[in-house]
This record gives sequence, structure tokens and C-alpha cells, in this order.
Amino acid sequence: MILGDFGTSYCKFLDLDAPGAGPTIIATKELPGETRVNLATGHNGKRFADRYVNELIALARGGETMIREKEYVLLDCGSRDIKFIKYKNGKLADMGWNAECGASMGFTIELLERYYELDYASLLVPEQTFSVTCGVLGMSDIFDTVIAGVPVAEAVARFVKGIALNAYRFAGSPARLYLSGGLCDNPLFVGSFPCQVTPLGRFVLLRGLEAEARQPRPPGLV
Amino acid sequence: MAHDPTHLAATISHFQKIGIIGIPPLAVIRAANEYGLLIHDLDEPLVREDLETASPFLPRVYCAILRTAVVNALHLELDAIYVDTGPGKCDCALHTATILAEALPIPVICTKNTDTAAFGVPLCQARLPLIARMQTITTGVKSAAAYQNTPPPCKPCAGFWGVPPRDFSILELFPEATHIYGWARCMENKTPADHALESVFNPEVPTVFFAQSFCAKTALARYLAKKHPHALYLDVDVHTTSSARAKVQAFLELSGVRP
Repeated sequence: MILGDFGTSYCKFLDLDAPGAGPTIIATKELPGETRVNLATGHNGKRFADRYVNELIALARGGETMIREKEYVLLDCGSRDIKFIKYKNGKLADMGWNAECGASMGFTIELLERYYELDYASLLVPEQTFSVTCGVLGMSDIFDTVIAGVPVAEAVARFVKGIALNAYRFAGSPARLYLSGGLCDNPLFVGSFPCQVTPLGRFVLLRGLEAEARQPRPPGLV
Repeated sequence: MAHDPTHLAATISHFQKIGIIGIPPLAVIRAANEYGLLIHDLDEPLVREDLETASPFLPRVYCAILRTAVVNALHLELDAIYVDTGPGKCDCALHTATILAEALPIPVICTKNTDTAAFGVPLCQARLPLIARMQTITTGVKSAAAYQNTPPPCKPCAGFWGVPPRDFSILELFPEATHIYGWARCMENKTPADHALESVFNPEVPTVFFAQSFCAKTALARYLAKKHPHALYLDVDVHTTSSARAKVQAFLELSGVRP
């Protein structure tokens, strides 16, 4: 059984019939049109799969698999949106999916790195930040700050910190949180959260799909 | 005022087709029924016109239901419009009535519905498809007749609190044993200004607290959702977005509510 997490910028796959094989990843723009999987998630996934699991459910199931606590907040920062799941006493307590005001934050972070030829691993978390509610709107702050004489790297770092703070507030400002998504690999982003962060990597939704795939399904359901 | 029976009858008997915004007092509906008037509920999408045609009259960032009402009022041939602007509706409706009164060549009559006679809430507590029940409740505002052949109440497995959404498709996701709360319950009870009834919820069942975006009821929905031990607050504007659908679907499934 092949699982697929079809994200805006990257698609992740896991073949459950290949023991020991890890997940694979491919840029969405390079995804062959004839790709088919058995079980999919991600905003782009319905076109490629026999069965679809919505992203919040995949995130929650992934969290249940990977986190051994009964109370936690799991935040997923994707290219296009941010979403979180909060568990209390082992049960769902809150959730959110910001696909509109959280638009394109992850995508913009990656775009800026390439455009300005930056290396986020070498940037320090800045003292100051921007009030960023959307990747597109936040770009204006970068341009204005650079015009005011601030180095590009510092301006972009403030932008990244602003995005992290926005995501943190969206998740309910927890004292600690688990982080999911490709931005787990961005030390500037992870370091910009004003709380304890445990990065889980970019395959949490795939792990959630795996849990869904292993769940017995009522007869008659595809 | 429209509540005076003689004045109301004298006025309404001249009309054949009226529109209503919100829920005018039962006296208005009863008189309209008695004279055989055709009633259009302008809060529902009735005409195939772009919502943008309301934009010369209302801001784009405004209650989608009132923008819909304006589009309907502009495109339907009506003899009069009755707008409830009392405690069962909102200031936005009052301002919309003011604007429509100037824009249209027909009377736009403001009412204040303070009805307290309870008709009951059988549909809110029944086990039937949520969309069908909500459609019956909204259609019911055009009739003053008592309810007949009501379905029996069921044990709820989930709750939907709020107003009838502009886009009913969000209701498809709920199981049949979902109880209805909030203003929709007040609608069925024909007491739209009953704020105590509107604030009722069942803490025993997972509940979605819904409001239209940019509606004053977003505050109440969010406030009650915080008080409820197992709730999802949700606001939706014109159409149900895929993320809104996914939130409801995930909330119900992760709460153990089966379709």
C-alpha cells in the first residue's frame, strides 16, 4: 500500500509493502501526472488517490502515533497553511486550520532564502520582529526595512520570526509545542518560537496515514 | 407600529408579494398568511445573481446573509419588505433597512419581534438529516401555524449551535442525531429574541459553534465554545471553504462521532 502526502511544495510517499523503506520526497512541481497512491492526504491529494484522509485527521493520527503524552499541542507549518491539534487528557481539546490568513508563509520563507541566497542555518534569531499575519503581506515589511538601511539577512530573519510568532499565537500560545512540517529543518524558524519546541520533521502526516491504513475499516467502505 | 392589528391588516392587505429579513413578529406573518400573501425569505439565496450586486449598497466585508438579502431585494418584484430590527436581529439589519428604504420604490417596514409564545423545538431534537431539518425550520418562518405531526426527540450524538448558514453544505457533515442549538432553535420556537434560549448548549455532546463571518454572533459563538468542554468554533463567510469542511469533519471524527 502506497501512502502519499501531497503538499503545496513537496510530496511525501511511503510504501508500506517495502519493509524497512523510509519515506521519499519529491518537489510537487516535478510530480508525474500519472502518480497514483492508495491513501492520500494534503490539499492536492484527492486527485491522486483511491482514498483520501483530511489533513487535520492525518496530523492528529500522526501525533497520536509519535507523541507519548496525553496533553500536547502539535503545530504543522506547511508551505501554504498552518494547522494545529491540541490534546488534553488524551482527547481532542482544540484544533485550527488557517488556510486564509496563514497563507503562503512556508512558501514565502523558502522563496526568500533562494531569492536572497541566504542560509537560514547561519542566521541568528533577531531581537526585533515584524507583525506578520500573511506571507504575502509580510513581504512589504521586508522591503520597507531594507530601504530603511537594515541588512537583507536581518530583515528576512525578522520576517521569519514574525511568522513563527504568528503560528505560535494561532496554536494558543502554549508553553511547549511539537512542530511538524518542512520548517522543522529551519533552525532560524524553530529558534524563533518563544516556547519549548520539539521538531517532529516533515513526515508526521505520513505517519498519520500509516495509522489510518492499519485501522480496520467497516465493510463496504473504500 | 406594525403590531397594531387594525393598522397591520390595513397595510398588509394591499400587498401580494412581500419579502422578509430576519423574523418579523408573528402578527405580521399571521396577517400575511390570512391575506394569502406570497412571502419570500430574503435571507436565503433566491436569485441567481452575483453577490457583488450588493456591493454598491453594503461593504464587501459584511454579513453574507444581509448581502444576500439585498441582492434578493434588488432582483425580486416585491410589494413591500418587512425587516426585523429588534433584539432578535442586529444593527446590521437596521442599517440595511435604511439603505434599502432609499434604494427601492417599495415600503421597507421595520419591526421589532419580541414574541415570547413558544412553539417548541421538535425538529432541533429529532433524528433526521440536518440539512432537511434546517430547511424546514427556515421555511417555517413564513407560516404562523402551529406545528403538526412533529417527530420524536432523539438522544444527541453531536450539536450544531448557530444560525442557519448561508451555505447549507456544511451541514452535510453532521450525523442525523445532531441536535440544533442557538438562534436556529429560537427560529423554530418562533422566539428569535430569546437570548436565554439562544445561549443553551449541551455540554455532554461535541458541538460546533457556528456563526457567519462578520456577524455580531461570532462573539457569542466563540464565548460559548470556550465554555463548552468539547467544542469547535467556526465562522464561514459566503461559501463553505475546504478548510472549514475539513475542520468540522476532523472535529467530529476525532471526537468519536460517527456519521
